[in-house]
Amino acid sequence: MDGQLLSETFVELTDTMVADFDVIDFLHVLTSRSAELLNVSAAGLLLADPRGELRVVAASSEAARVLELFQLQSDQGPCLECFRSGQPVAVTDLSADQRWPRFVAAAGQAGFSAVQALPMRLRDQIIGALNLFRATPGAFDADSIRVGQALADVATISLLHERSMRHSDTLNEQLQTALNSRVIIEQAKGKLAERLGIDVDQAFTILRDQARNRNQRLSDLARAFVEGTQALPGPVGSPRTSRPGTMQPLPGVRPAPPRPAPPRPGP
Amino acid sequence: MTDARRLGRVWGLVAEHAAARGGPISSADVCAAVIPGVQVTGAWLSAARDAQAGHLMQVTDEVSRQLAELQLTLGEGPLLDASASGGPALASDLASPESASRWPAFTPAACRAGAAAVFTFPLAVGAIRAGVLGLYRDRPGPLSDFQLGDALVFADAATMLLLDAQAGGAAGQPAGLASHRAEIDQATGMLTEQLSVSITDAFARLRAYAYASDRGLTDVARDIVARRLRLAPDRDLSPEES
Repeated sequence: MDGQLLSETFVELTDTMVADFDVIDFLHVLTSRSAELLNVSAAGLLLADPRGELRVVAASSEAARVLELFQLQSDQGPCLECFRSGQPVAVTDLSADQRWPRFVAAAGQAGFSAVQALPMRLRDQIIGALNLFRATPGAFDADSIRVGQALADVATISLLHERSMRHSDTLNEQLQTALNSRVIIEQAKGKLAERLGIDVDQAFTILRDQARNRNQRLSDLARAFVEGTQALPGPVGSPRTSRPGTMQPLPGVRPAPPRPAPPRPGP
Repeated sequence: MTDARRLGRVWGLVAEHAAARGGPISSADVCAAVIPGVQVTGAWLSAARDAQAGHLMQVTDEVSRQLAELQLTLGEGPLLDASASGGPALASDLASPESASRWPAFTPAACRAGAAAVFTFPLAVGAIRAGVLGLYRDRPGPLSDFQLGDALVFADAATMLLLDAQAGGAAGQPAGLASHRAEIDQATGMLTEQLSVSITDAFARLRAYAYASDRGLTDVARDIVARRLRLAPDRDLSPEES
């Protein structure tokens, strides 16, 4: 395990009291560092929404994100079990598992053979689960599990501690903002995929790289792109180049007031 | 994991209010039903389209009206924060130093108007902004986790009803926005390009198409994302024209 990266990660995961703290970015750090540090193929993260549902908030890869979504949609799988029980759940060989047949099939399609789900828990409050996926079957080594749980614990404490003491409302505000940002990112992926004639996974990679290059938050870039206030270049040689003529007008420029009843005229 | 009981409870309260009023369900019913629903003193609802400033659609009492107007006059407050961030702004005690430093002009004015706690919820689906739902209490105190969960579902209901009204008809059924699938959001983004329309209009077209073709929204969205289906920019497929 990369000790230098590990200690840097712990610093990143405790640095949540900064003014421009963003839950989505924070949880992306948690999943991508987990995948790097723990010798696993991918990591995904589910968080509880106060509405009473679990939501996929971050994943280190599209395959992991889709598999997490699948668990929520089919209402079965080790990550849900982990969240409900508050206990770690390990499946070292998915092909031999009998408990979650639909999950096993979807995991196989996504290229995963083993899962370790770790609760995000502080005392009796369970806020979600960090899930590690590996392409090859076999037990996760004890060190990886210990460090993975430590990462999940530190992230949980960072999200809850002091925020919940001083302003019980702040975490809920940030969580809901993050969930809405997640939707904006999906909308931006669709728009970029259609514009460039690429698939949504490739679109996400471009969005993420562009946000990184511009030193901008992913959710801010995604919103600006969807609202048409910020353009994104396509990859060189893409089948369809960016068409500035189809950009949406700037906010405030559009004159029409909210229209009440009549059907929309054709564009 | 959709909490069907919560969805049923909230939409039930909204529908009851509409029935008592004798009209079709509208966002005004959400505004009225949320008051007993999450035990607040009053509520207001302002509608917006895309990134424009909202206009006040509904207030349940004079304090709510003042709270809504204060923020527009002062240019700060939980309503504007909720609209900008896409997440709620929850101020459970306006007398606290946190509130005073967060909104130095709004906080004392809101207290004078008679509010002790203010909670605002953006009516948004990602980058689609339909407005803001504001709640206030005349005594300080946070929404419990249970009340917060219900308040979010009330806000989801208001969002769908406002979007329906903007699109000129009810294209959707009572549904939880939270159980919304990523494919729907991706398809909506794709339609902005296919149809050269705003994200709000793209979502309206997607819902209208699903309604007119009697298919589920997720189903249609999946076909669009897989590029098995394209919508034409020159034809409006909304149900009221068919």
